[in-house]
Amino acid sequence: MAFDGVDSGAVAHPLGEDASSTSELAPGDPLFVVEGLRYAYLERFPALDDVDLEVRKGEKVALLGANGCGKSTLLKILDGLLFPDAGTFTAFGEQVTEDNLEDEQFAMGFRSRVGFIFQNSDAQVFSPTVREEIAFGPLQMGWPREKIDRRIGDVLRMLEIEPLAERAPFQLSGGEKKRVAIASVLVMNPEVLLFDEPTAALDPRTQAWLVELIIELNRAGKTIVMATHDLDILDAVADRCVVFSEDHRVAAEGSPATLLHDRELLLRVNLIHDHTHVHRLGNVEEAHEHEHDAAHHASQHV
Amino acid sequence: MSDVTVRAEEVPTPQWLVTGELALCPCGCIGKRKKGSFVEKTLSGAVGVMRNAMFGEDVAQQHGFLQRVDPRVKIVAFLGLLIVTAFVRNIPTLVVLYAATVVLAIVSALPVGFFVKRVWLFIPIFTGIIVIPAMFSFITPGTIVLPLWHWNGSPVGITEQGLTSAGLLVMRVATSVSLVVLLTLTTPWTKLLAGLRALAVPRIFILIIGMAYRYIFLLLNSVTDMYTSRKARTVGNQRNDYKEGQRVVGATAGALFGKAHALSEEVHMAMVSRGYAGDAKSYAAFTVGAIDVLFVVGCVVAAALVLGGDRLLGV
Amino acid sequence: MHIPDGYLSPQTCGFFAVVMVPIWYKASRAVGKIVKSRYVPLLAIGASFSFLIMMFNVPVPDGTTAHAVGATIIAIILGPWAAVIAVSIALIIQALFFGDGGVLAIAVNCFNMAFVLPFVGYYVYRAIAGNVPLTSGRRALAGGIGGYVGINAAALCTAIELGIQPDLFHTAAGVPLYSPFHLAQTIPAMLFAHLTVAGFAEFAATAGIIAYLQRANVPILKINHVNVPVSDEELAKKRLGWRWALIGLAVMVVLTPLGLLAPGGAFGEDAPKDLDLSKYHLSAVPTGLEKFSSFWSHAVLGGYGFHSGDHPVIGYLISAFVGILFISVFLVGFIFLVRLIMGRRGFHDDDEEETEGAGAKPPVTA
Repeated sequence: MAFDGVDSGAVAHPLGEDASSTSELAPGDPLFVVEGLRYAYLERFPALDDVDLEVRKGEKVALLGANGCGKSTLLKILDGLLFPDAGTFTAFGEQVTEDNLEDEQFAMGFRSRVGFIFQNSDAQVFSPTVREEIAFGPLQMGWPREKIDRRIGDVLRMLEIEPLAERAPFQLSGGEKKRVAIASVLVMNPEVLLFDEPTAALDPRTQAWLVELIIELNRAGKTIVMATHDLDILDAVADRCVVFSEDHRVAAEGSPATLLHDRELLLRVNLIHDHTHVHRLGNVEEAHEHEHDAAHHASQHV
Repeated sequence: MSDVTVRAEEVPTPQWLVTGELALCPCGCIGKRKKGSFVEKTLSGAVGVMRNAMFGEDVAQQHGFLQRVDPRVKIVAFLGLLIVTAFVRNIPTLVVLYAATVVLAIVSALPVGFFVKRVWLFIPIFTGIIVIPAMFSFITPGTIVLPLWHWNGSPVGITEQGLTSAGLLVMRVATSVSLVVLLTLTTPWTKLLAGLRALAVPRIFILIIGMAYRYIFLLLNSVTDMYTSRKARTVGNQRNDYKEGQRVVGATAGALFGKAHALSEEVHMAMVSRGYAGDAKSYAAFTVGAIDVLFVVGCVVAAALVLGGDRLLGV
Repeated sequence: MHIPDGYLSPQTCGFFAVVMVPIWYKASRAVGKIVKSRYVPLLAIGASFSFLIMMFNVPVPDGTTAHAVGATIIAIILGPWAAVIAVSIALIIQALFFGDGGVLAIAVNCFNMAFVLPFVGYYVYRAIAGNVPLTSGRRALAGGIGGYVGINAAALCTAIELGIQPDLFHTAAGVPLYSPFHLAQTIPAMLFAHLTVAGFAEFAATAGIIAYLQRANVPILKINHVNVPVSDEELAKKRLGWRWALIGLAVMVVLTPLGLLAPGGAFGEDAPKDLDLSKYHLSAVPTGLEKFSSFWSHAVLGGYGFHSGDHPVIGYLISAFVGILFISVFLVGFIFLVRLIMGRRGFHDDDEEETEGAGAKPPVTA
């Protein structure tokens, strides 16, 4: 597997560099606190309705739900890209508002501490070359050139995309683009990583690599929040699941094992279908043995 | 005088003369028109654009002479040569200049056949077609060297001035195109962008150009997908070309703009997420070396020689 | 409409570069204010969009091709200054990376397609659309007409820039140094392709996109229409006949200056497309000087005799400006008329785009 060659030491080097800035909070302290969140697109189409959520340092949280339940919107709020119509979002002990983010100091701090890997890598990889793409964030942070170059080198090596450094995005495959998108976020060494449907539209090999990477990053101290409806990887990538109903509210919260056995709940929030859930759950139970075997599932649904 | 006018009024204008537009605009799909939808042709032209872009990137990575010249130096030098080309007034001078571009292509490890073909097969063939009428006395009056027919006692035919003018235009276009092709084929386009940035083109323009270039390929794929899915749903024969064109331009363009806008919102978020606050910062850095100095000196000398020689030739 | 290098004298290119620099400067300032930090990806994607639109070469009945530019729709959605930037960038990419249009001629091409086109298109749209609600069918139609008029204005500018070359730049022996064709040939050649095909392509793209956005994505339209009400139920039902009358009027408005500008039009005897446009240059007069004066006297004085000794260059420029003046006068008159009509009766339709497509078809399929 792609990630096997990277030992934890190699991972720790590029990511552990800014350890001092992350030491303010101990593992288990709340990083993100969301209370009474409401959000509607164009002030008409609700996306989130009265959502409460707490993300603690060092944990892996999965946001589960059918398409259009509001989990992507929640991630965008957690990244300070959208702002709630009602309710509050507090990150690292400070409230995040549009006003606050106008403040350069606060914005810099927040942007460098929270990284967002978008579902659509095409939107995220917007620069002319891979190297420039990865340099984009650090350049905005005003880092010295040397540090930027060193970081880029490290992160290219870590994600095994060194040969792609001078390529243009249109020369990359979907999986390669995903790696570049992740590299462009990891290079800033954020404390919290937000993933939106990370495994969507990836081939099984890249999916498996990504799951390993997420686990590795979490082990290196990163907090992970992930929106997904891929139940097969859940057990590996989440300590805790938050399930959204189709009326944009939190329907349940708990460990992957408990939630995945609650067929009634999964059916109710439209995450599974009558005919398929038996297969899916069967696989999930064996997730430890078969977590990389996505092709297997695919063949079962044909 | 007045009898000349009367005679002149009776000569019909060839239809091809008043309707020539293609040669002024060799955009997108150029080539022989085959049976089939122009939309399909455009889309296959689009694939050609992509392939061309990728091929160009490969050539630009090779280790030839021009590839080693600093992009800023190259841009300035080629702009200078383009201006020189524009000022030249004699065909022989242009021929020398054109030969020089071929030599530069050879020392820069460009496939010469491709280089020559790209210039002569694509753009100037249309220039060639459009200049044909210009050789005749009814467009370019002057000394008639090849009388073709007589009209009211005066010969009508190809004029010396017309021939010279046509030759000048074709050679000038060929040389200009060669220069641009040389520049773009030997410079990876990101370096070209970076070079422009270093030459006082505002950063914001560079950022937008870079992004636009990047998204052309993405949107091109969207269009191809939309068209393919539309075609897959079409039962029976395609309707005629123009109608189909109306349909595609009207309907696809709307959906495309919607997609494009949604994409731009996402891109903006992706930029903001990584700290963008309206002021883009740039990455590239350049150094000027001996080869650059050599190239600049060479270009200046060449430009002086060309313009001086051109004056000596007269006109 | 992309002029390659070699067709224009460096002086012409230089002149337009000097004209475009302040326009670009003003555009980058103006845009920053309107769409804030979002404008970077928006403009980038606007530019790619325009690039793609320009790739769609629609066949002209005479066997050549023409294309829409998409400048009008960008001007309507993001404002004309944003369109200046977006289309300029599309043109720069085409010239630099795809050899489409000259590099020295970038400023000239930008002037035509990224400045004249969006501004003419946008203000025609504004004038016709007036204050009707954002979702009114009249907006789609107004945009379409704006696009049609705009692209023809740009084509006319292109024709004039090309057409003045042989008389401004030639050797003592009368050899044209750059584009050898005269205004009498370039104007009908350019306008034929654009009046018959490219104009309708721009019409369809502009009206089609507006109609689509009215149905699917009104917020996009609101970017540049902040204070325009979205819908107005009060509006009276419009009559189909008015739309056809409008389309006819628009075509006529654009056709009129063609007739005026083409030298034969001064005689007022032939339909524009039947004119033998080269005949006024068929003199065997050896020097260019007399040739200029012949055109000058014909176009403006309408007489048959040649007079030598007039100022040829000034004559050309004046005739060009007179042409543009005519267009402006007719446009203003047309717009005034439209507003008068529209002011009295409402103009609203829900499925505008359907009729729009139909409106655009007949002249093309004919």
